Amino acid sequence: MDTLKVRDAKDVEEVVRAAIAGEQPLEIIGHGTKRAIGHPMATNAVLDVSALNAVTSYEPNELIITVEAGAPLADVQSLIDAKNQQFAFEPMDSAVLLGAAAAGTIGGMIGAGLAGPRRIRAGGARDHLLGAHAVSGFGDSFKTGGRVVKNVTGYDLCKLLTGSWGTLAVMTEVTIKVMPKPESERTLVLHALDEVTANKAMTAALGSPFDVSGAAHLPAAALRSGAEAFGSLAGAGQGVTLVRLEGIAASVAHRAGSLSQALSSYGTVDSLADAASAAVWSALRDVRPFAANGTLGASPVWRIVCPPAVGGTLGQALARETGGEVIYDWGGGLIWAAVPPGADAQAALVRKQVEAIGGHATLLRASDEVRRNVDVFQPQPAGLAALGERVRASFDPKSILNRGRMKRGGAA
Amino acid sequence: MSIMMPAADQAVLDRRGEIVAALRAIVPGEGVIDSAAEMLAYESDGLTAYRQPPMVVVLPDTTEQVAKVLKYCHGQGIKVVPRGSGTSLSGGALPLADGVLLGLGKFKRIREIDFDNRVVVTEPGVTNLAISQAVAHAGFYYAPDPSSQIACSIGGNVAENSGGVHCLKYGMTTNNVLGCEIVLMNGEILRIGGKAAENAGYDLMGIITGSEGLLGVITEITVRILQKPETARALMVGFAEVEAAGECVARIIGAGIIPGGMEMMDKPAIHAAEAFVHAGYPLDVEALLIIELDGPSIEVDELINRVETIAKGCGSVTLQISNSEAERNLFWAGRKAAFPAVGRISPDYLCMDGTIPRGALPKALARIRELSEKYGLGVANVFHAGDGNLHPLILYDANKPGEIEKAEAFGADILRCCVELGGVLTGEHGVGIEKRDLMPEMFTEIDLNQQQRLKCAFDAQGLLNPGKVFPTLHRCAELGRVHVHAGKLAFPDIPRF
Repeated sequence: MDTLKVRDAKDVEEVVRAAIAGEQPLEIIGHGTKRAIGHPMATNAVLDVSALNAVTSYEPNELIITVEAGAPLADVQSLIDAKNQQFAFEPMDSAVLLGAAAAGTIGGMIGAGLAGPRRIRAGGARDHLLGAHAVSGFGDSFKTGGRVVKNVTGYDLCKLLTGSWGTLAVMTEVTIKVMPKPESERTLVLHALDEVTANKAMTAALGSPFDVSGAAHLPAAALRSGAEAFGSLAGAGQGVTLVRLEGIAASVAHRAGSLSQALSSYGTVDSLADAASAAVWSALRDVRPFAANGTLGASPVWRIVCPPAVGGTLGQALARETGGEVIYDWGGGLIWAAVPPGADAQAALVRKQVEAIGGHATLLRASDEVRRNVDVFQPQPAGLAALGERVRASFDPKSILNRGRMKRGGAA
Repeated sequence: MSIMMPAADQAVLDRRGEIVAALRAIVPGEGVIDSAAEMLAYESDGLTAYRQPPMVVVLPDTTEQVAKVLKYCHGQGIKVVPRGSGTSLSGGALPLADGVLLGLGKFKRIREIDFDNRVVVTEPGVTNLAISQAVAHAGFYYAPDPSSQIACSIGGNVAENSGGVHCLKYGMTTNNVLGCEIVLMNGEILRIGGKAAENAGYDLMGIITGSEGLLGVITEITVRILQKPETARALMVGFAEVEAAGECVARIIGAGIIPGGMEMMDKPAIHAAEAFVHAGYPLDVEALLIIELDGPSIEVDELINRVETIAKGCGSVTLQISNSEAERNLFWAGRKAAFPAVGRISPDYLCMDGTIPRGALPKALARIRELSEKYGLGVANVFHAGDGNLHPLILYDANKPGEIEKAEAFGADILRCCVELGGVLTGEHGVGIEKRDLMPEMFTEIDLNQQQRLKCAFDAQGLLNPGKVFPTLHRCAELGRVHVHAGKLAFPDIPRF
């Protein structure tokens, strides 16, 4: 298989145009760390954007950074970290779950759109992408958005590019909002709550005025599977419910006090300060208990997004009926479920439960074979699916880019 | 009034009686308005320089009626302009002579308040403020707060991706909506997203938000609600030079502080506002900043101190800190009344809405002053300084021949300057008709074609709100054509592995 390592947007145009002429679909990669997500594709050439890796501009006072799509996420994060800034949506490092070598590129981060625990407060990747240059499946470079936060000029194509898994356009350069890092953080810890009660405690915390920036629950089983990552929390052998507060130290201390009091009916409230707190949320963000190199490394993993207040009930049912393990983030609105290995990753059961409460499930990790047989992305009602397909075709009518990645049987 | 709308289709106008009858069969009684006198109320929106009575007004009150109206119009090739409260400042709801004006004013019910999931499910005709009021008893509110929030509808907010004073910290509409029910031009009813944080598949909610009524008609919306911050305090800081005020804004953000709101007014705006509301604004300063910090009081007090230090370091000449809600509200009173205040000193004004990088504020202001002299028209400036969103108010008199054209040309030059400085044509008011013909200043034909292709995916005949946003309309078939370039996998000099 040919791998074409493009050097600039012109190269991308040329490769896409040739692919259109030859009716040869292309797989789009940066570092290729997320290639195992989505349906296996029937592409016979690879367009590699990893050499488009320059930082075009970084203006800390404007709270924006403009980088080429192939820039390594880790490098860009170090760069903004040095100015005490961050991507507030806390992008996950999918390498832990997928067993990849690194966190991948900025383009991959946007294309996947996988936000971490702070999504409940700061929004997702879609809320932080301000502008993009990309090459469509017509072989044309286009731009959308701009380099300012407040912009309603024309359709907001940034929203579509985020989470489109490279099926709409090849991003070449993006402008992303950065935010100041909080001066301090603290995590309140509740112990041994069942999942429904934990969900209630998180709902109470998120419905309080204390500006919670993370709310997660690790049942005992998941905590055991991730014992190494969670250190002392894993010791007691019981589930933990975690609520994060961030900001200036005095404010964090004040809110921690008030919120501990508000949550005292759920049991003793412990707390973890700065570094210990940060370590816990980074392990949660990357779903360490289900790590590729851990005890559940062979289990298919579902990423389920649902109305937060019913997450506990849903997760409990999923764990019971699949015989798997679950982790709750976003106050119950995000459930990671590792199910025992099998031919269909128990898709029918998972989807039936998830759909019943207005959620959707993505099979984020599974073998090639399973991903060939099961809908990786949530199937949609006919009208919505047809609209989604028209939207896709409006960018790439010949389905040149990542053909079949988001649709089962779409590679044919 | 230099913007041309698409020519009216005489064949459609000739069938007006038949069309009115067909609409009456769908929406009975007073839901169809066809008398010239009654339709006058709909001839304009917040951009009052443009007026055009519609062919007929229809005010459905169920999603099914909306679907039937659209399906009928789709089948008959009749254009439709959706309208919420009609407060658009860019002409987004300006009717068409041969078009049906579809008003959503009867969709006035909040359908569900769900505190556990922190969402409100509402019909589109509910006002922005009414949502906050409906949840206030439990300490919640809906964060985006456009100045017109008493009147503007949440449906219109979604169509325009409305902002407001507090969007620096809490985001615009797009960051605060989760789902909708939408009716496509062919009458198809779809539900997108819901109470979950993300919708499945492509982010269609993200593209519908801010689409200015060109993609579909929204009949239900799910919005996020937040707990109100414990407290809020404001500083009012005067500067002898605009540059110093701009520097102060940059340093506050640079220090990692994101205020709830950060507004700037220039001297003419300060004077107009003070004469109107007597808020105690200093009259001898060139720029006034109002900076609001919100959160727990211990945090707010600390940040007030930090901002005070920064402001003094930037050479502030006056500085007041609110010590009560009454005082905070007084600081804001002048800013919030700035538009009507300017309305008192000038027979007419045009409100512009460009965004620039924060750091370019002094440059933009200097340029606006030059242009003001060039055109011989006064200008008062109010800015959402925290996010670089400018609202220059151009003063003119519509009764003086040629003055509106001069004001429009002045406004266009300001927006061109915003783009030159690395900014954009509109930060929160939308393109509508007002900025339509300036789109090529920011986008190439290829950029605009890609946006129009997306429009085709929703409305292949281009019947929904035509004449807005895009300066040139293309047929969908033409846009969808893929040009196959000669030669197969060539690129001999691209590295292969």
